[in-house]
Amino acid sequence: MKRLQRAAVLLSLIEALRRRDSWCAETNVQKAVYFLQELLEVPLDLEFVLYKYGPYSFDLREELTSLRADSILTFEIRDPTYGPSYAPGQLRDLIVGDFPKTISRFRKEIDFVAERLGNKGIAELERLSTALYVRLRSPDTGVHKRAQSVRELKPHISSPLAEQAVKEVDAMFEEWQAICKE
Amino acid sequence: MEKHFHEIRDAVHVFVHLDTEERRVVDSVAFQRLRHIHQLALTHLVYPGATHRRFEHSLGVMELAGRVFDVITAERNRDSRVRQVFPPSPDALNYWRRVVRMAALCHDLGHLPFSHAAEGTLLPQGMKHHDLSAKIIQSDDMQRIWESVTPPLRRQEVAKLAVGPKDLKGEAFGPWESLLSETIVGDSFGVDRMDYLLRDSLHAGVIYGKIDQYRLIDTLRVLPENNTKEAEPALGVELGGLPSAEGLLLARYFMYTQVYFHPVRRIYDIHLRDFLTAWLGRNRFPTELDDFLRLTDEEVLVEMRKAARDPSHPGHDPADRILNRKHFRLLYERNPDDSAKNPEAGRAVYAAACQEFGDQYVRHDRYAEKEDPADFPVRMRDDRIVSSRAQSHVLKDLPPVNVDYVFVAPEIRTEAEQWLARNRQDIIVQKEKEEDEP
Repeated sequence: MKRLQRAAVLLSLIEALRRRDSWCAETNVQKAVYFLQELLEVPLDLEFVLYKYGPYSFDLREELTSLRADSILTFEIRDPTYGPSYAPGQLRDLIVGDFPKTISRFRKEIDFVAERLGNKGIAELERLSTALYVRLRSPDTGVHKRAQSVRELKPHISSPLAEQAVKEVDAMFEEWQAICKE
Repeated sequence: MEKHFHEIRDAVHVFVHLDTEERRVVDSVAFQRLRHIHQLALTHLVYPGATHRRFEHSLGVMELAGRVFDVITAERNRDSRVRQVFPPSPDALNYWRRVVRMAALCHDLGHLPFSHAAEGTLLPQGMKHHDLSAKIIQSDDMQRIWESVTPPLRRQEVAKLAVGPKDLKGEAFGPWESLLSETIVGDSFGVDRMDYLLRDSLHAGVIYGKIDQYRLIDTLRVLPENNTKEAEPALGVELGGLPSAEGLLLARYFMYTQVYFHPVRRIYDIHLRDFLTAWLGRNRFPTELDDFLRLTDEEVLVEMRKAARDPSHPGHDPADRILNRKHFRLLYERNPDDSAKNPEAGRAVYAAACQEFGDQYVRHDRYAEKEDPADFPVRMRDDRIVSSRAQSHVLKDLPPVNVDYVFVAPEIRTEAEQWLARNRQDIIVQKEKEEDEP
């Protein structure tokens, strides 16, 4: 995907998250993009590693900063005790106008992620994205074992919450499979 | 009596202090090679004083890394909300102090000749100088040094701290390792950055890079990222240190716009890359350590001189342009009006100019800032944690660096300027077509 095409997808995702009352700080965007790329297979070509609050992409961080440099995205301070939120920048209309096919091609995936993750806080996003990380590495392992793996990676997550996150990711996966079959 | 502590005079820090074990690293082949790698590639062709090398920069980074480590780990400076991240015993703390200083010393070992100028083109796909730094740190030669230290250092930990989680692929970083690496190569307060701003501005004779590193370092703290109970530890500052943090980031901004992205400096980098590619071949830089360590700026300069005199040398044209100041001239640079119509306006000018004059006469240089150094926690006087961007208008409004240059050969400069003046409005709005299948 070319840079500005990818910008159009990221911009649309951020707008969709904001419509669902997401805080849209960097961590919210990071986890939503992780689901978009890894669960829904939108080809954003970003590398994720296990880092802050679960899977994290330094590529994405760089991409978001460069989109800010180009006024495609901007920062908004909504509460001083939290980091800034991402918002559409001055060139929003230009990008949306230039890439209608790309946006419509991935609209379903963007809305799916925004619908399910938009209203979640950082702690829950960390659990879910780590559960997806584990699922992608050991897809045939049972819920209990994957919950254990989540806890090995993030010891501060309790067993019941780890198990709940694993089940929720499984449900999202099945739901997406059903949508794809329609 | 044998001396165990040593000092080296330094233009920035007055003295760099080191012990015998650290001096063993300084005396190694890999570290001595840095005496022959310019810190700022060919910048001395624009700022004549900027002839300093990676060698003294690396010493300076070690000096600052030790100071930062002492401040952030001092008992009186530990924030109770993130106390669990610190190693429990003094022995462990001493071990990590040594790893931090060694990692700081070694963080640039993998630099190619002329530093960053040609890295993207010459190394195999996906490889960066960081990978070579990690490889050298973990080599058998360096391992002998790590084993001789008391207590012995684990080479993997030195490599992790020297390179950091962003660039050391495939390694999981715990919170403590992430933090320590952040103190060396981090986007906000990495001592690599502090030293290069101070040193580059001193040697270039550009005052913008001057910062109050003393106050800044004294106020650095390990803090929770925000006020939630899930917050991870991060490197931040006391409120009293915020002005010096602002100073650092403003210095960085001005050094980027005035020195690192000076258009003539950038075109010299491009000519250098063209020369190295013509001479060595794309993706062909030696990455076997013995061969890699043999190549410095000096070997490249010798070949460049030869090429400039010999029209049949594959690198003759770029070598001649560098050594005889026939560098390409700026035809177009980014501006707000054009960017509002097309964020890739430079690319449009470049494509049209290539079509008009031939791509051998045109070069394009595009950089939209990728690092985001201005977001870090600030501890208020009442212990609340506040986002730096919320607390500081300077940081909130600090624009990311954004560069878009098109250069043309001097022999077609006038013609190209007239051509652009005639066609500018039509060219700027030419965009790449949207692909159906991304």
